[in-house]
Amino acid sequence: MTQEPRGGQNLVGDTVLELVDVTKQYPGNPPVRAVDRVSLHVSEGELLAIVGPSGSGKSTLMNLIGTLDRPDAGRLSIEGVDTASMSDAALAGLRARRIGFVFQQFHLMENLSAVANVATGLLYQGTLGKVRRKRATETCRRVGLGHRLHHTAAQLSGGERQRVAIARAIVSDPAIVLADEPTGNLDSRTSNEIVALLRQLNDEGSTILVITHDRDLAASFPRRIALNDGLVADDDSRPLLDSGADRS
Amino acid sequence: MMLRRPRRQWRSRLRPIDAVASGASGLRGRKGRTLLTAVGIAIGIASMIGVLGISASSKADLIAEIDQLGTNLLQVQGGTTIFGEGASLQEEAPAMVRRITPVTSAAAISKLDTDVQRNEFTDERNGLDVLAVEIHLIDTLEGQLAHGRFLDRATSQLPTVVLGSVAADRLGLTDLTGGPTVQIAGRTFAVIGILDPLPLNPDIDRSALIGTPAAIEFLDAEIHPTAILLRAEPDHVEAVRAVLPRTVNPADPNEVAVSRPSDALEARARVDENLRNLLVGLGAVALVVGGVGIANVMIISVLERRGEIGLRRALGATRTHIASQFVLESALLAAIGGLFGAVMGAMVTYGYATRQGWRIDLPAEALGAGIGAALVFGALAGLYPAVRAARLDPADAVRPRG
Repeated sequence: MTQEPRGGQNLVGDTVLELVDVTKQYPGNPPVRAVDRVSLHVSEGELLAIVGPSGSGKSTLMNLIGTLDRPDAGRLSIEGVDTASMSDAALAGLRARRIGFVFQQFHLMENLSAVANVATGLLYQGTLGKVRRKRATETCRRVGLGHRLHHTAAQLSGGERQRVAIARAIVSDPAIVLADEPTGNLDSRTSNEIVALLRQLNDEGSTILVITHDRDLAASFPRRIALNDGLVADDDSRPLLDSGADRS
Repeated sequence: MMLRRPRRQWRSRLRPIDAVASGASGLRGRKGRTLLTAVGIAIGIASMIGVLGISASSKADLIAEIDQLGTNLLQVQGGTTIFGEGASLQEEAPAMVRRITPVTSAAAISKLDTDVQRNEFTDERNGLDVLAVEIHLIDTLEGQLAHGRFLDRATSQLPTVVLGSVAADRLGLTDLTGGPTVQIAGRTFAVIGILDPLPLNPDIDRSALIGTPAAIEFLDAEIHPTAILLRAEPDHVEAVRAVLPRTVNPADPNEVAVSRPSDALEARARVDENLRNLLVGLGAVALVVGGVGIANVMIISVLERRGEIGLRRALGATRTHIASQFVLESALLAAIGGLFGAVMGAMVTYGYATRQGWRIDLPAEALGAGIGAALVFGALAGLYPAVRAARLDPADAVRPRG
């Protein structure tokens, strides 16, 4: 355990997320095992990618990690707390405070401003409106949206919209940020900017888990977990060479 | 590693003001739809408040009228014998009535078996009666003359006539210019006065009144009083009413019918009340239909906003938060309708009452109840959609839909 700020390649923090033989299957004949005995350990300050082709179960895995769905078997704990015993309302509280989500399709409220959208990240913590706006404004500046604070979501470009979504995910200072195909709807230049932003936030201490089908994108992250047919095919935790990291 | 228990401070919380704001945000984003949906509720509330307001104003006017006319006017009639024949009063009856102490004035009326015509060339049926009356009838009725004057001691002995308001209208007389005359049983009578309408005595409105001496003198009529009108001291009306039959006809008190003309007006107010309840019921039906409209729109809204619901669940909303957001949204929607409806209903009442010349009486509790009913209906209508929204699987709701 170290007290100094942890960058993406210093994997020495507390355990944030732990999966042990987590399984999720969907009814059918035969039943489909979308996630099959996945075990995973993520420490504070990590930046990792779960990569796999379409249908490999990575979205299901993200929903399980994000507690939007419950595993059929296995154990999933966040910051050492087993989620199996938690009620639906308790899981909602966990999401409100310890998990940040970034979705491929942004999920912004179109008629709200960038700041108001980011502030919704604190809505279900019961934070005062004034405090929400102040922290949202700071977070918007942190992700490079200082000049677009009061534009509505509808007035923003794709890259800016994803920055708003990322700001909303980190405004509550969660234990882990889950980003599902964060560059899926963006052109390559904007994608690179978003990846750079994620790396910057990770350098500043955020634990970020990115889910993607894009192997090139995954290759730019320090740790890559390959998922295939619901099974972990590879967990490559070796630090990357600088040249690899610079590809993003 | 050691597993820990969930931390207490990880609870999901939504401030009440933020819950209301969340409910309102759904309406702000869909202004046109919000307005159209609110119209349904507005119509229901407007019709209920309009009906209540108009009937209250009408009733207030009627009560004021009754108060003004007084409830101490009584009418005694012969009634019917046990064989069903019309009974007339004894000639001494008016004098006996006047002897009852709390009776302040009384006047006998005798219906004559003849009719009144505008001139000698017509004999059309006009439904008008000819009454031989005593000269103090005008005081007993507390009536007013629109034109001319009433019969007095002199004119009651001459071929002169005073017309009720309806009678004058049917005979084509609006005033007394040119000294108009009418024909009664082939004799010419000079019209010396036209009465104002008498709300308590519509029978007299439809009659031509001549003096009793004139009736005997010029029409050879036999005078049998058919009715006696009397005023009693207000505190003793019921007592007078009780002794009247025996006073008028000691032998057969059951053949005497005593009525209070103001009761008819009060009955009219009660009839209005029944009609009002019916119309309020119709307004309630409109309100229910409006509520169903809201429920419909809210269900569509839940389907459209899966993404938003999923996002809110991801942001930490509990099922209760989601449900309360939709119930509040629905209640707000209905409250907007209710407010609109209350204003519309008040305007309708104001306009109608003003046109009718009524005093405006818009019960405040009707306004409050209207908006309250809208809120309750809205919340009820939102319940089912809210439960559906709360039950959405969050993992499914955040999934991109193609």
